[in-house]
Amino acid sequence: MKDPLKDKLTSAFDGIQIQPADRNQISITANKESILSVLSLLKSNGYNHLALISCVDWIEEKRFELVYILSAYMEKDKHFTDMEKTNIILKTSIYREKPQFISAIPIFENAEPYEREIHELYGIHFEGHPRLTPLFLEREYKTPPFRKDFDTRKYVSDVFDPIPFVGKKADKR
Amino acid sequence: MRELELYFGPQHLGMVGNFSITLKVEGDRILKATANPGYLHRGFEKLMELRSWIKNFPMVCRINVVEPDSMEMIYAMGVEKLAGIEVPERAHYIRSIYLELARVGSHLFGLWAYANMLGFDTVAQWAMYHRDLVLDLFEELTGGRVYHIYIWPGGVRRDFPEGFKDKIVNTLHSIGGCVPDYDNTFFNNRLFYERAKGIGTVTREEALAMGGTGQVLRATGMQYDVRRVEPYAAYDKVPWEVPTREDGDAYSRIWVVRDEMIESVHMIFKLLDAMPEGEVYNRIPNPFKWTIPNKEAYVRCESSRGELGLYLVSNGGDKPYRVHFRTPSYTHGLTILEKALKNASIADVGNIMISLYVVAPEIDR
Repeated sequence: MKDPLKDKLTSAFDGIQIQPADRNQISITANKESILSVLSLLKSNGYNHLALISCVDWIEEKRFELVYILSAYMEKDKHFTDMEKTNIILKTSIYREKPQFISAIPIFENAEPYEREIHELYGIHFEGHPRLTPLFLEREYKTPPFRKDFDTRKYVSDVFDPIPFVGKKADKR
Repeated sequence: MRELELYFGPQHLGMVGNFSITLKVEGDRILKATANPGYLHRGFEKLMELRSWIKNFPMVCRINVVEPDSMEMIYAMGVEKLAGIEVPERAHYIRSIYLELARVGSHLFGLWAYANMLGFDTVAQWAMYHRDLVLDLFEELTGGRVYHIYIWPGGVRRDFPEGFKDKIVNTLHSIGGCVPDYDNTFFNNRLFYERAKGIGTVTREEALAMGGTGQVLRATGMQYDVRRVEPYAAYDKVPWEVPTREDGDAYSRIWVVRDEMIESVHMIFKLLDAMPEGEVYNRIPNPFKWTIPNKEAYVRCESSRGELGLYLVSNGGDKPYRVHFRTPSYTHGLTILEKALKNASIADVGNIMISLYVVAPEIDR
């Protein structure tokens, strides 16, 4: 990462931690209040490609970790710089009991389906998101299914075991 | 005129794969399109958290049915980055050759879907036949036709069998010999031009704002290719070109696909010539007792559809703590497709969707 950008980040935001680069990967941890400002600062400094928004459930520490992965598009058609090789992993934590956050759609348009997916699979509400409707799932779940306290095997046996086999029905007749 | 709601897919002739679009139409014009995925959601990312590092390989390749090989590659890259495993030089070359073969196969499949949708049945059958020749190569190399599980952390499963280099060259020559036929019947055909020119245009500004990669960007003249920007395997060892077009419409995107296929074949020939001798596999620890230190990694590679990424977290255990794939079709099929369909005509829905190269299993995962 360019050093001026590093200085800008550390001077503008409290509690921001920038880890030294591991090959092409830089990991930044920020407070949840400042995450949108960090995103727009990084965007205006060239990291204009939001590759992914992900979520990790750290159940023992009682927090969700939201992860924004940014990289840079090429400025020119045919040549690229060292900066464009870099991936930034921007992380922030929110409380597990209060799963609420702010939407990043005003900054990155393609955040929309990612946030929708996280809302569905982790039950995190994104304020300002225009449609937090189901994306993949068909049934209602008491616990959002990608949380660590959701037991896949128990769910399968609870839901599908009561359904009789086709062969058994035929025997009764 | 009256507004109607129209369901396009999942059972529709113009639709490839398990995916549907809800259209709000006025006459023939689309006012609003809503992508509707989820028909193929298998929860792989959750299931992978319950299985050990090595047992996940049969699962990752099923995420993208059409091109399972870049999925194996990205997962192997992620595990290698977390565990700090090195790959021998020859394995890098074999991986590149293997991935380029997969790209040719995947593009032929895409060409089949596109030509079929436009009504070019003959070209579609040719493409399917030529893809089958590539699958025969995979069968000889790995034992499987569609899902190969050939790339492992630390290298590849086995070396090329005897005479396999010649077989690759022969197969690619027989496919490449048909390029003039493809050009005469399809690519230079006036019908293709009339149907695809100016349809589903995504400008560079739109593509950049919506996170487009792959053909969507390269059809607007930008040489953005992860193989070039952040080279992996042996892509920095031989010279090759990134084909581009300027207009950003369906016509440009399909031409980029064609040029890419030819460039891949040329690249395979160069890689075969430059390939060194040596080991193809570095030993990894006992896979049944393998633990990986508490770490996170993001890796990316270029699949045949665009930038493929993987965010992998380990908490020091024998299983991944979190796996999240960044698949190109996710952005192309959910964000860009909805924008590109606005104001299009109903007859062009399949055209736009297939030229954006959307493959449904990749979205749902």
